[in-house]
Amino acid sequence: MESTREITEMIVEEAKKSADHILQEAEKSAADTLKKQKLRGVQRAKEASKILLRKAENEAEFNKKNSIANSKIKAKWVILSKKETWIDNILKEVKNELKILKQSKKYLSILEKLIIEAGVTLGGKELVVLLNPQDSALPLKLGNLAKEIGEKTGFKTELNMSKEKVEVIGGALVKTADGKVIMDNTFDDILRRREKELRSEIAKILF
Amino acid sequence: MFVLLEAFKAIKEKHLEAKRIVEEATAKSEKLISEAEQKALKVYEEAYKTTLSQAEQKAIELKRKAAKDAENELAKFLSTAEDQAKGIEAKARKNFKAAVDSVLNMVLP
Repeated sequence: MESTREITEMIVEEAKKSADHILQEAEKSAADTLKKQKLRGVQRAKEASKILLRKAENEAEFNKKNSIANSKIKAKWVILSKKETWIDNILKEVKNELKILKQSKKYLSILEKLIIEAGVTLGGKELVVLLNPQDSALPLKLGNLAKEIGEKTGFKTELNMSKEKVEVIGGALVKTADGKVIMDNTFDDILRRREKELRSEIAKILF
Repeated sequence: MFVLLEAFKAIKEKHLEAKRIVEEATAKSEKLISEAEQKALKVYEEAYKTTLSQAEQKAIELKRKAAKDAENELAKFLSTAEDQAKGIEAKARKNFKAAVDSVLNMVLP
């Protein structure tokens, strides 16, 4: 009887050991599966992360370069706009000075020179002079001016004052009698047509 | 004879008990593994999301830093430009009359 009990206890004991082993193996396998899946997830995410980070780096670099380029442009614009403002101020001051000059005695001879210059450019002959209303009242000796133009061009020249007036700071607009060719020697037009050259000269002196 | 029969009977019973114990353990282990397999997909997704989320955060930081750097550069450029503009203004004030006179000389006959 004793040995029968020993045998039956051994059978149950062995079965329990087997059961424990089976469970241990199952737990190990389950833990292993979870660990492997976790690792797989991390691995796949790392691959995706690499692409994501590379893209982000490229985007960040591109945006940074773009912003810096824009910043340089903005900075240059600040300087350029400051220079442009000062150049504009000079041109405004020049116009003011020309208006003051018109009140001086020197202006008459300047106006005469401008008329002669325009007349010579047109090649003399029959010419018409257009002035602003104030300058029309000046004691211009058109005959003398015509003579000088004639001497310079080699053509007999006649200068007549037009009844038509021009709204300009000063200077003269001279045209051929038929009105086909016009030489605008008003201060306004001189400043306008030489603006590029003047701005460049002002910049050289100012800055 | 009776004793022997009793012994066989007892052994058989214990065999059956042993079989049941092993079968129960096997069933339990199968359940464990099956549950782990089901959980595995979730674990995979969680690990993927967590790792990717860290990378996304890093990407946001990268972009934020680049934007901040660019902002600092802008401030630096603008500050330099403003200094230069001040210099320009000082020179312009100093040379103002000379420039006006020069233009008058150029435009007047």
